[in-house]
Amino acid sequence: MKNSNINNTWLSGSLCLVFLLLMVSTQLSAQGDSTAASTAKAAPVAPKPVKNTFQSVWIIDNQTVMVPVKGTFEMDIMHRFGVMTHGYQDLYGFFAPSNIRLGVDYAPIKNLYVGIGLTKTDMLWDGSVKYAFLKQTPRKYPVSVTYYGNMAIDSRKDADNSLFKYGSQRFSFFNQLIIARKISDKLSVQVAPSISHQNSVPGYYTGDTSNLKVFKEMKFDHFALAVSARYKVTTVTSLLFNYDQPLTRHATNNPNPNLSLGLEFNTSNHSFQLFVTNYSLLSPQRNNLYNTNSPFDYTNSVTGQKVHGGQFLIGFNITRLWNY
Amino acid sequence: MKKYLFLFSALVIGFVTLNVLSGFSPLQTKKPWTVPDAFKNKKNAVASDAASIAAGKELWSTHCKSCHGAKGLGDGSKAAQLKTEPGDFSKADTQSQSDGSMFYKISEGRDDMPSFKKKIPEQEDIWNLVNFMRTLKK
Repeated sequence: MKNSNINNTWLSGSLCLVFLLLMVSTQLSAQGDSTAASTAKAAPVAPKPVKNTFQSVWIIDNQTVMVPVKGTFEMDIMHRFGVMTHGYQDLYGFFAPSNIRLGVDYAPIKNLYVGIGLTKTDMLWDGSVKYAFLKQTPRKYPVSVTYYGNMAIDSRKDADNSLFKYGSQRFSFFNQLIIARKISDKLSVQVAPSISHQNSVPGYYTGDTSNLKVFKEMKFDHFALAVSARYKVTTVTSLLFNYDQPLTRHATNNPNPNLSLGLEFNTSNHSFQLFVTNYSLLSPQRNNLYNTNSPFDYTNSVTGQKVHGGQFLIGFNITRLWNY
Repeated sequence: MKKYLFLFSALVIGFVTLNVLSGFSPLQTKKPWTVPDAFKNKKNAVASDAASIAAGKELWSTHCKSCHGAKGLGDGSKAAQLKTEPGDFSKADTQSQSDGSMFYKISEGRDDMPSFKKKIPEQEDIWNLVNFMRTLKK
């Protein structure tokens, strides 16, 4: 969030999109809506929720509104290579240090998904809960709404307490409301406001001994907005778009926004996503709080130096589903 | 030279004969798949309109195409790895079956054919698939 003009433009754009999502009441064409098929025979049948707004629980670095059917067990393998800016030197990031997350999820009851995962960077464990409490239904609900939250623990060894003075400093939290609309059979859009919370922030004392003050480099809470879209090219192949805009202004260390573009391929049991993105940390709160890669050129607020954007990296998500 | 040619021909004929008798012949014989009467006579609950066929086609592309092929000819990319022949759905052998029979086989599965009643939990979607499969008829 180092360039306020960009921020304002994207913020207003994002808010417009939220408004559009909530207000546009275009009826879905019958193809993707199974309701239409059933109502073709018997008129009084109650409308049913729209299906397949998204075909994976992930859209690059964000969660989608989707919660798989009860009894679904999922395994996730997520990989982020290094930034591509070094070119041949590290083969556009492929040979650079990478980040990996392994995760599993399960749907124990209808509309609920619980998961656990481990990310390589900082050996970060995460436990998550996702609940779909509103589903887009013709003539009833214009959008689907899902809550996603997680708690993460930095599990690095710290025998001499040089990293963490207290155990609670290892924790961070993420809460997100995902609002999505399947606009047509091909196009689905979602917006997702979120709040990330970190239990500790870097700081130091300022002033003289008689008037000591603590300067906190960042705030504990950070608000952000994600806008994502999927456009189906074929029945099993889609284009993916995602943009994350930080909203909270911190004293220093303001995170950069994130722009991602990718492709998704779906089979009966798998979903493959291949993309370029700025986010590398594989944890929503860490991405939102600490992203240093920027898609756009910006001026560093501390040094006043111009910094080139375009710090993209290649990544992929693979999900494997089993139904029990 | 003639002797070697004869030996070579005998080997080729022997190899082909053995394959036909052992390897290929079981694929030609189809194991009967008994469908309970309740399903055989089950009525299709979804009208076969454009919307249903399109929904069925989407499900077909995701769940069925890799084995059965885009047009149901049994020539999907995974077909060669199967122990069971996936069949040619464009022919009367499949198309003469009732909608209910198709519904049962998709739902329950058998051998290489997985059960889809958990993966496609709504019956309406299985009927959509059946409606799409009817369009594969030649």
